[in-house]
Amino acid sequence: MNPHASVLKRVSAVRGVRGAMLVSAPDGLVVAEALMDDVDGRAIAALAAALAARLRRAAGSAGLGSPCVIHLRGEAGALLAVPAGEELLLVAVGDRETNLGLARLELLEAARSIR
Amino acid sequence: MRVLESWVSDPLSRFLTESAARVVLLMTSSGQVVAQHGFTRSVDVMSAAALGAGIMASTGEIARIMGSPRFGALVHQGSDQGMLLAGFDTPRGRWIGLVVYGPETSLGLVQLFFQQFTDEIAAAAPPEESRGPVLAENFEHELNASLRALFGR
Amino acid sequence: MNDDVRTLTRQLADDPASLAFLDLAELLRRRGQLDAALTVAANGLGRYGDLADAHALHARILAERGDGDAAFDGWMSALQLDASHQGAHRGLGFLYYRSGDLPRALRHLEFAAQAAPGDGGLRAAIERVRAAAAAPAPAPESSRAALLPTSRATPFSLDEESGNPAEAEVFAGLDGARDGLLLLDQHGLRLGGGIRDEDGADVSDTVAAHLAGISREAARAARLLGLGEWQSVGVECDDGNAHLVAPTAETILLTVRDVSVPAGRLGLIADRAAQAARRWLEGLA
Repeated sequence: MNPHASVLKRVSAVRGVRGAMLVSAPDGLVVAEALMDDVDGRAIAALAAALAARLRRAAGSAGLGSPCVIHLRGEAGALLAVPAGEELLLVAVGDRETNLGLARLELLEAARSIR
Repeated sequence: MRVLESWVSDPLSRFLTESAARVVLLMTSSGQVVAQHGFTRSVDVMSAAALGAGIMASTGEIARIMGSPRFGALVHQGSDQGMLLAGFDTPRGRWIGLVVYGPETSLGLVQLFFQQFTDEIAAAAPPEESRGPVLAENFEHELNASLRALFGR
Repeated sequence: MNDDVRTLTRQLADDPASLAFLDLAELLRRRGQLDAALTVAANGLGRYGDLADAHALHARILAERGDGDAAFDGWMSALQLDASHQGAHRGLGFLYYRSGDLPRALRHLEFAAQAAPGDGGLRAAIERVRAAAAAPAPAPESSRAALLPTSRATPFSLDEESGNPAEAEVFAGLDGARDGLLLLDQHGLRLGGGIRDEDGADVSDTVAAHLAGISREAARAARLLGLGEWQSVGVECDDGNAHLVAPTAETILLTVRDVSVPAGRLGLIADRAAQAARRWLEGLA
């Protein structure tokens, strides 16, 4: 049984969340996932990791320290990413109805349990 | 970027832009070069194509011995650069892509957009023209023409 | 009730949409009737939300009632509408001086003095602030949590004034204009504003370079993941929060604040700054 399954299940249970996954941050590869059928996990992993890496560099250069939560908002949904240790990223993708506040809290809690 | 066949150009260009790959070499499964980007010497292209095709052939044989389906891709990750070597089917037969990337991108992105690239190649390939038998002098002539096309000389 | 108050009150009663509320609220304020002044000013502001004077007057009354935070917001709103509003600059100068942020106080007071060069009271205030700034008091540890009741971006250092007036004008009057708001183009080149790190060093160009192509990255991710057109990127960090929006298709705006400013509020601040950036860019075109 995937050790991260229960953590991902909690995140994906939040209203509006279409998928949650654990991503290898340096490679942008999937480590574990809990996704709806129409969700492309590989794309989420690669794109979320790329965005997180770029924002980490920018935040560092601005003296803000390390990112704890990254939130990409689109017209039709959102992506939330939370680092879980040096090399892992917890990612959730949701639609317009997503309870972002709760999703954020669940991701932070999940990241703490993984570290 | 240099291509032997113009219809490869757009998909390859998009792949380079999206993946931020440093070096790309496309070849047939026999090691004949189809397109390249990032190489500066023809010798390097020929060597890489030969080695890449050889590696894919070797890993294909290992898979066969193990009774396993053919391996789709091979990845080597170095301290500074990584390499993806992947075979894919096209209307023109089996091709191989060799992609070298650096820390400015990631394996995930390279794989993601390589998949898109292979889908576009499959869709874009025109019907193959029939060719006559290959003679030794024709082969050398074609090889030199290919090198000129790939290096713009 | 004296005649002036009676007259203005009648005017307002006859025509609630009249601008007489400004004079009436000011009169009541001067008479010390702050509750009544606040009621009049708030009602007027409800009708004239786009009038800088209404915001400034409302803020002035709030300040006198001791509500510095609300007063700050009111004066900032006034500056959003009129970047050279003398009253708002004066008010903000007062608040910053009271909180000990002397460089910012001086900057706002000098802005105010530009519009009222003959104002002796303002000149005296500027001298007082300069004297206080020159006094050899031990400097507190610089920190992103500044001295204001509600935390703002790090204190601005007057030693590194930009020589380019156009750059200073992008976010003129907005808090963080030079150390918490950065406008850049798609190629990672700074267009205006600035970002400073915790030590007060200008890191604008470095940050801009790292953000080159970020809108393309965000747009690509949003598109490929079915999120639609990208709207914003929020980043909560250990030592501060950041927010990215695209005021235009070719520009990116980075807004940075310390951790006390929550992500949601930071988004609102960023939206205001994006409006200012769009106006400025339209003026350049």
